[in-house]
Amino acid sequence: MANFILRKAEPKDVSDILRLIKELAKFEEMEDQVILTEKDLLEDGFGDHPFYHCIVAEVPKQHQSADGHMIIGFAMYYFTYDPWIGKLLYLEDFYVMKEFRGFGIGSEILKKLSQTAVRTRCSSMHFIVAEWNKPSIEFYKRRGASDLSLEEGWRLFKIDKQNLLKMTNEE
Amino acid sequence: MKFTICAAKPEDCKDIARMIMELAVYEKMPDQVKISHKELERDGFGRNPFYQCLVAEVSEDHKSKDGHTKVGYSLFFYTYSTWKGRTVYMEDLYVMPEYRGKGIGKALMATVAKVAKEQHCVRLQFSVLDWNKPSLDFYLAKGAEDLTAKEGWHFLRFHGIALDNLAREAP
Repeated sequence: MANFILRKAEPKDVSDILRLIKELAKFEEMEDQVILTEKDLLEDGFGDHPFYHCIVAEVPKQHQSADGHMIIGFAMYYFTYDPWIGKLLYLEDFYVMKEFRGFGIGSEILKKLSQTAVRTRCSSMHFIVAEWNKPSIEFYKRRGASDLSLEEGWRLFKIDKQNLLKMTNEE
Repeated sequence: MKFTICAAKPEDCKDIARMIMELAVYEKMPDQVKISHKELERDGFGRNPFYQCLVAEVSEDHKSKDGHTKVGYSLFFYTYSTWKGRTVYMEDLYVMPEYRGKGIGKALMATVAKVAKEQHCVRLQFSVLDWNKPSLDFYLAKGAEDLTAKEGWHFLRFHGIALDNLAREAP
């Protein structure tokens, strides 16, 4: 199976995008953490101020998945800013359905993203990977990625809504 | 000591660039700073800003020993979590050493939290170097959670030549 296309996501794709987000979350053992809905994806990706950009991988009907899906992979990204080097492309999610792996779809998506990064004057493409996710880490390292957490000691932190509200109330 | 926290203006970029370098020196990576106030002006105040910035200012009679009244800043932008939706990423938070312990850092962060709340963001994320104990303590006291420790997330990147190679698919 070699036939697939990569294209910009459209509003009609949000249902497939959410399905794939949940599949990836399941793989990362955090399926119950996905609270996003199709409505959120529509408003946040295709409204006046898009918070993200998305590419989808589509196969023709005769190659659809076992469950009858033609959208079989996606990548979600947005632009961020590093005060030392300027614009960056941040890769939030990147996933190809298991039955469609090994055909070069992931590589093509990554290539398209890096071309977007270069074309839009980004110095770097950043993303996070869980340290136990050896297949993904190998996939990225084979292609020249470096691990900044190991090399420079960066740790990711979060502050959730409850504590954010506490901070605003203290002012 | 009285201070104000305001949204940065284009003319603040020289002070912001100065403080970005001070923070980079503290983080032991000053040679990694490649952009100047010119790029900051272009990227933060054009038609499509890539970041937001707050500046902390003291009055003339409290100016620093080098004559500066702009004594702290926070640089942040909007990101997107496929699990939770809109989030804010706080890229930099810095207060000049002689102005610490006066609530300026706390006020800067509370203002970022207020902006996050107004934009319906559900989470604030940021990264800290693993040896930076004063910052780690400051954030943990506000309810921050270390996702690198808790869930194993590592930061990866494709930078410079690695990014170009990926775009060209060179061997």
